[in-house]
Amino acid sequence: MKNPANKGLMTLILPTFLTLVAITVLPILITFGISLFYIKLTSAAGPVFIGLENYFELFTDDRFLNSLVVTVELIFIPVALQIVIGLLLAMILKEKLPGMGWMRIAFLLPAVIPPAVSGLVWKLFIVPGAGGLTYGASLFGMDLSLDLLSMPSSALAVVVATSVWVGTPFVALLMLSALESIGEEQYEAARIDGANWFQRHWYISVPEMLPVIVTVTVFRILEALAIFPIIFVLTGGGPAGSTEPINYYAYVNGFEYLRVDYAATIIFFFFVAMMGATAPFLINIARREGREARS
Amino acid sequence: MKPAEKLFAYVVATVFIVFLVAPVVWLLSTSFKGQLDIFAKPPVLIGDFTLENYREVLTDRRFMGSFLNSVIISSLTVVFSMLLALPAAYGLSRLRSPAKIPLLSWVLLVRAAPGMIYVIPYFMVFNEIGLIDTRLGLVLINTVFTAPLAIWILISFFDGIPYEIEEAARVDGATRFQAFTKVAIPMAAPGIASAAILVFIFSWNEFLFALTLTRFEAKTAAIAILNYMGYAGTEWGKIAAAGILILLPVAIFAIGIRKYFVQTAAGGVKG
Repeated sequence: MKNPANKGLMTLILPTFLTLVAITVLPILITFGISLFYIKLTSAAGPVFIGLENYFELFTDDRFLNSLVVTVELIFIPVALQIVIGLLLAMILKEKLPGMGWMRIAFLLPAVIPPAVSGLVWKLFIVPGAGGLTYGASLFGMDLSLDLLSMPSSALAVVVATSVWVGTPFVALLMLSALESIGEEQYEAARIDGANWFQRHWYISVPEMLPVIVTVTVFRILEALAIFPIIFVLTGGGPAGSTEPINYYAYVNGFEYLRVDYAATIIFFFFVAMMGATAPFLINIARREGREARS
Repeated sequence: MKPAEKLFAYVVATVFIVFLVAPVVWLLSTSFKGQLDIFAKPPVLIGDFTLENYREVLTDRRFMGSFLNSVIISSLTVVFSMLLALPAAYGLSRLRSPAKIPLLSWVLLVRAAPGMIYVIPYFMVFNEIGLIDTRLGLVLINTVFTAPLAIWILISFFDGIPYEIEEAARVDGATRFQAFTKVAIPMAAPGIASAAILVFIFSWNEFLFALTLTRFEAKTAAIAILNYMGYAGTEWGKIAAAGILILLPVAIFAIGIRKYFVQTAAGGVKG
């Protein structure tokens, strides 16, 4: 605060930050607090303090352990596909080939459709025997009328496909804007050396874009479980828990079984794990943003 | 690119665009189909054209009430978020202090927390103070995510305004607050508009909070559409028409700000 240029700035910043503390940090602390109690909403008896007992229950709860596995599947499979396909599409869009200009606008579509509607879009598309998928197969003379949501592995595949569908175009557009900021001369030199299109990108674009790729990957990981509405609409976590990630299981506990204490335990556990894994990256991003500003 | 490489590019782009567009085209075509065509076996892409689904949705008072809720809640969320975000973003952009990095990190961390962690405490507190199933309650919890998002976007827009102009105003006797309201805000107007649109879209699309914190009165359109998945079977015609109606305003907005959309929506993803 000794720098005179800062004068008056804290009075602009502080009210917002105090409000944000009240509406974000406080609720997170309350969630942790709730997880330390035994609470039965349906009975008149008050909450009983039980320490970390809810956390011990997690590790003997098969359904929770299953949701951990599903969480890993639903984070890593879609994010890997989004990054790889997104990068490939960005490389293609950058060439500005005839007839591809409109795709940049079409790519905005899944990013603006409400997730619940995305779930419905896909549910409608795969209605057994009467959906668009069956129609598409019939164009190739195939008779496809399976109920994809009735089997664990295919239900998971549908959720993964929807997640890829929602996230990939957006990743592609982000990658594209990073790709377009790389100087043309580097590619020219590689072209003269006889590198083909793919090699040029592999040896020039990918190393140049590595910071962007890492940042996008971190954000996609953080966003991965935001497909909650899609799961809610498509599968409800089933069949047999095959599409029930950790945040969905927390929801089921809190709002179907009315076990808010256990729901708080599950989600707080996830919060700590997620923050532990990604906080260093996020702080790094903030540091870069802080430095980038003019001085 | 060599011809073989071009061919590869077109094949990949075509396959992806079919994957991307086909489900939405199916939704659109279903919205104009009658009941018989929707369940035709084998399915048909274009049925007998009808506007019946739209008529039923638009005259469904419960759904249209939710649609109005979405408009009001999203607009108020924009107002709330901007009131919180504008001064903070301006201050952070101009701040030259070691406190800047922790403050910026914190903005990102808050936004990165899973939404479910907020639901349980808000549910319990709202239950106590009567904010369950109210528009105000939903605006409040939406702001948890949208204010940090707006702060983050606005900082880079304020960073882009040359400091000299404010300096000149300060020399002429303007206070810091006047420099903020009279100089910085008007100059950052395009950025403020795109941040506002993004906040609107976020709030419009929000699902988890609206699902858990509303019941009937304050239900938003993104939740009300699920009413058409009843026990008596799913009314796909109405769902398709309602789905189109819900995504239309947002799609128009997004195309309007498409120059900024990708960078701002990424909120922190920079080179």
